[in-house]
Order: sequence, then C-alpha cells, then structure tokens
Amino acid sequence: MIRHLFTLIWNRKRSNFLLISEILLSFFVLFVVSSLLVSSYYNYRQPAGFAYDNVWEVNVAPGQDTANRKEMMQLMLQRLQATPGVVAVTRTSSNTPFAFSSMNTNEFYYQKKQGPSTDRYDADDDMQKVLRQNVVAGRWFERRDDASTRRPVVVNQEFAKAMFGSESAVGKVLTNDKGVASWQVVGVVEAYRRGSDFDGNNPAIFERRVLEGPDHLDPNDRPVLLVRVQPGSGAVLEQRLVKEIQAVTKGWHAIVNTLDESRHDKMKIVLTPLVALGVVSLFLIINVALGLFGVLWYNINQRRAEIGLRRALGATGAGIGGQFLGEMLVVTTLGVLAGVVLAAQFPLLGVFGVPTPVYVLAILLAAVLIYVLTAICAFQPSRIAAGIQPAVSLREE
Amino acid sequence: METTLTPAPAAPAPTSLKNTPMLKLLDIEKVYQTDTIETVALNRVNLTINKGEFVSIMGPSGCGKSTLLSLMGLLDEPTGGVIEIDGRAVTSYSDKELARVRNHKIGFIFQSFHLINDLSVLDNVELPLLYRAGMSSKERRQRAQQALERVGLSARTRHFPSQLSGGQRQRVAIARALAGAPEIILADEPTGNLDSVMGDEIMDLLLSLNREQGTTVVMVTHDENMAHKTERLIRFFDGSQVS
Ligand SMILES: Nc1ncnc2c1ncn2[C@@H]1O[C@H](COP(=O)(O)OP(=O)(O)O)[C@@H](O)[C@H]1O
Ligand SMILES: [Mg+2]
Repeated sequence: MIRHLFTLIWNRKRSNFLLISEILLSFFVLFVVSSLLVSSYYNYRQPAGFAYDNVWEVNVAPGQDTANRKEMMQLMLQRLQATPGVVAVTRTSSNTPFAFSSMNTNEFYYQKKQGPSTDRYDADDDMQKVLRQNVVAGRWFERRDDASTRRPVVVNQEFAKAMFGSESAVGKVLTNDKGVASWQVVGVVEAYRRGSDFDGNNPAIFERRVLEGPDHLDPNDRPVLLVRVQPGSGAVLEQRLVKEIQAVTKGWHAIVNTLDESRHDKMKIVLTPLVALGVVSLFLIINVALGLFGVLWYNINQRRAEIGLRRALGATGAGIGGQFLGEMLVVTTLGVLAGVVLAAQFPLLGVFGVPTPVYVLAILLAAVLIYVLTAICAFQPSRIAAGIQPAVSLREE
Repeated sequence: METTLTPAPAAPAPTSLKNTPMLKLLDIEKVYQTDTIETVALNRVNLTINKGEFVSIMGPSGCGKSTLLSLMGLLDEPTGGVIEIDGRAVTSYSDKELARVRNHKIGFIFQSFHLINDLSVLDNVELPLLYRAGMSSKERRQRAQQALERVGLSARTRHFPSQLSGGQRQRVAIARALAGAPEIILADEPTGNLDSVMGDEIMDLLLSLNREQGTTVVMVTHDENMAHKTERLIRFFDGSQVS
C-alpha cells in the first residue's frame, strides 16, 4: 500500500508539486519564526552575568558652569558612597544595563589578529561591587592598577574565546591596528548580557578609565552613576541621594530610576517586534492552513469516482480515509525534507552567528508544527472521503 | 469429546452447481429520498442468480438497472427487503466484511470504465489485489499480468489509460475484475460506450469467462443481440421485473 501511495504521488507529481511547494514554504516560515523564538529563549536562559536588583541608575545633568567639574564629581561620588543605605557607587558610560545606548568597537588586535565586534564599557574599581559581575579568571580592577603602564581591561569569556581561543586571557596584551600595545587584560568575567533578557552573549570589554583627567569629561558629557543600595531601600533614600548631589555640586540635577524598572521597559520594547512577528506569522500559517485545506478538499472532490471505485474493489471507508491521510503524510514529508535541506544551510554556513543547537531545535519545532498543521487540515477532508457513498460517486461520471 | 457416526454433509455435486443460488434478492425495494422528491427506483424485486449463470438485464433508461446492480454489488443498501449472498443475509455484515466480500467475490465492470488515469494499466489491474491482505507484491504482479494476458493486453502494461482506445480501456477494466478471481461479475452496460466491433469483443470475453471459468455474470445491456446470447434475460420496467 505504501508503494502504491508513492506511485500515485509520483504519477501526480505535477499537481503534488504545488502542494509540496506550499508545505516547503510554510515550513520555511515556521523555521524562521521558531529560530527567532528558540534563540530568544536560548538567550533568556543564558546567565546575565551581573545583578541588577537593588541597583539604581542616577543620571546627572551638570549645570553650565564647567569649573572644577572633576573635583565636584569626585566629591559627589565620595558623598554618595558615605550615605547610609548605599553599598557601592560606580561611574560609567551611558551604556548602562538595559539602556538603548551602546558602544561598539573592533579596534582591538591581538598578535595582528583583529578582534570581534565588541561592546565596550567604561568602568572603575567599584563597578564590580555594584553590578557583581562574576569574575572567573584574574581579578577586577583595583587601586594598584593606577601604576599600570597599559590601560587595564577586563573581558568577558566570549571575547576571550574569540581573541585568545583556549589560551588563558589574563595577562594578554591587546594592541591597536598599528600594533601599539595599549591594553592589558587583568581579568575575565563570565558574561555581561546587559541589553535585555533576550540579548545574545556578545563579546564585551571593560576599560578602567573613569578616573582620568578632566579632558575626558567634556562639557556635554552627562555623568551616569550606578548605585547599589541596601535591599528594601525606597523613596526616602532616593530623595536623600538627589539632595546630596545638589548639595555637593551646587545645583546639578539628578534623576534616579531602578534597573528593575529599566529592565521592564526594555523588555516591553524588545518583546513588541517579537509579538508582532508572532501575530503576522500566525496569520500566515492560518492562510497556509486554509490553502492546504482547500487543495485537499478540491482533490477529494476531483477523486470521488476513484473513491467509489476503490470501495467497489474492496476498500473500507476507513481505508479510504487512511489512504488520503497517508498521501498527505508522504507529500508533507517530501515538503519537510526539502525544507530541512534548505534550513540546514543556515547552521552549515554559520550565518547570523546563531548557535547550531538553536537551529536544530527550530527545525524540529517547525517540522512538528507542519505535521500537526497538515494533520489538522487533512483530517476533515479525509473523513469526508471516508464517508463518500460508493454507489453515488460511481454514477456521477 | 465423543465421536459420533453422523457423516459430514456431502459436498454439492458439480452438476447441481447451476442450481445453487449465488445471489438472492427478496422483496427488494429502493427508494431515493431527496429534500423534495421521492424516487422509487426498485419496487418489490425478487430475483435469484444461480452460480455459473450468465444473466442479462434490459429495460428503458431510469428503470432501476444500475440501482439493482449496485445493490447486488453491496455498494448500497436496499430500503426494504433482504439480499443474500451464499445463503447469508447481507444485513448481518459489518462494513469491513462487506468490503471483504466485494473484494473476494465480486468483480465490477462499468460503462465508463472507471480506470484511475494516474495509474498504469498494470497498476490499475492490481488495484483489487491491493486490498487483499497478505498477498505479496510479486504475486499481485503475476496475477495482474495473467489477467491482462487473458484480455489480450499483455503488451500494454506500462501504458496509461489515456493512451488506450475505448475498447482497450474496457478490456483493462475486465482484467481488473478478473485479477481478483471473483465468483460473480457485475457489468453495467459494459459495451455502452463502444462501437459494435469493440462491443462484440467485450461480449465474447465475458461469454468465454462464463463458459471456461464458470464465472457468474450479470450484465445490463441495451443491445438485444447481446442479450440473446446469454442464457437468461430479465426485463425491467419502472422498478419492477416484467419477465
Ligand atoms: N442517488 C440517487 N438519488 C436520487 N435518485 C436516484 C439516485 N440514483 C438513481 N436515482 C433514480 O433512480 C431511478 C433509477 O435509476 P438507475 O438505477 O440509474 O436507472 P437505469 O440504470 O436503469 O438507467 C432513476 O429515476 C434515477 O433518477
Ligand atoms: Mg444505468
């Protein structure tokens, strides 16, 4: 019977080709959508590499008066650190966790080899006390780094892997494109996925650069502080921080919000296109399903005489229904096989830098969905086929 | 367990074969009910077809001949009366058993051939054997080849129905009916779509099947000449048997 099905499908290849193409196309759409979903989920499950709870972000807007700015900054930091309820304070660049701002560079070289596209963050000795990055090799920045001739950097494992392979990253010297040595790796952190919960684990590098001369602090630069507070701190401490800043700086404005809030805001914005895509593909799938349903329905009506004949020759009603389901199964499998061959090119060519397991899972998911979809679409027409009265359908011609 | 001396019932003697009923229609009535009209296609038909008979059925169009054949072929159920095959009432059969009886005992031939256009001649002839459990593909192939030889089409096995003439197509349909080695062939105007030469060929085939293999044949026809070649002629008018 299976051979018979293949013979039938082969002899009807022209009309089946359309059906197979439709299945191939919908498989591909499902594959793209599930790749996105699976990779989002995969990222979501990766360690963030830092702690955002009880961390507040303080955006400071300095006044027009640029005199003594560096001193004021340092004073401000000291005063905040000394405030009861504050655990640690760090000054960083505007690409804080969950912020839209980002700094991307590929200026780093190691033994003439250019590094990957890397997220760069300004850091100081206290940043790790605030964000609690998980140091897996070497150490975070310390006071003694002041004496260092090369600028100390901490990298994440992703960067270390891309740049140094299996070698230990600690102590490695990075150069610019001219081969001039400028940076030295002092430590490695596990990860730093600070964009959103769905961001990938990109290469990242932290530069110890905050306590530099005033030249670094241009008048338009808005200092950003991250403050770790005692658990349970609230509005009282928030007002206190703003007051301290104003007192020390004679009127600089400061806005405080928690990283938890930023995370939620960012999540909404990141999820919106994902949800929109999901809705669009849902409509697409419904469209495909209706198409499949229509084709099957048409097929069965075209083949009423054949159904009657088969019944006359000894097929049961259930056997007829089974035959139509079987044909659909074979056609679906052909479409899915073609789709898998196509989809497999993505991991094989390594485009988009998505890990292979994500693709494999996405292919599986798409295949399962297609089979479920065609089973649903084929079920009713097959039942109709099973119920066709042989005597009636044989006299129709 | 006790052994008794009661002899087993004797097998029917070959000479009595012709008087053994193959198919019995008792008080058969068929009413087609649609939303607006009620058509009485068959009215109190009583008919016995014996094993080995060649019966032809004649009657004007719409008198219920096709309906009668589809009832005999278990493709439809009567609205009244009883059909017996080999002495057993068909009403007691399940859907599965009905399919089995159709497959093993009955061969159909239709006016419009009803070949599957997307299957080769050989695949078409194999069809009834496909629904026979436990037959190897080799045996199917063999029996289909033999059936095609019987109708003189062994050179056309790889052809498709569209590449054949009307007469050839009907011969393929006959081969398909033969492949399953049925006890009875139900032919509904088998020559209706053919010219007289081709029609005669088909008629000769059916006659020789009946004579040489003892296959029971029930044939609906409009052709008096053909009807007179058969041993029994039944005339229908308006849903009833008139002779
Ligand atoms: N499925 C059906 N529904 C309604 N009426 C039918 C159906 N099949 C046959 N008939 C009617 O039953 C009568 C007998 O039809 P049929 O057996 O095909 O006659 P014949 O084969 O002798 O020409 C006709 O009047 C026909 O219109
Ligand atoms: Mg008719």
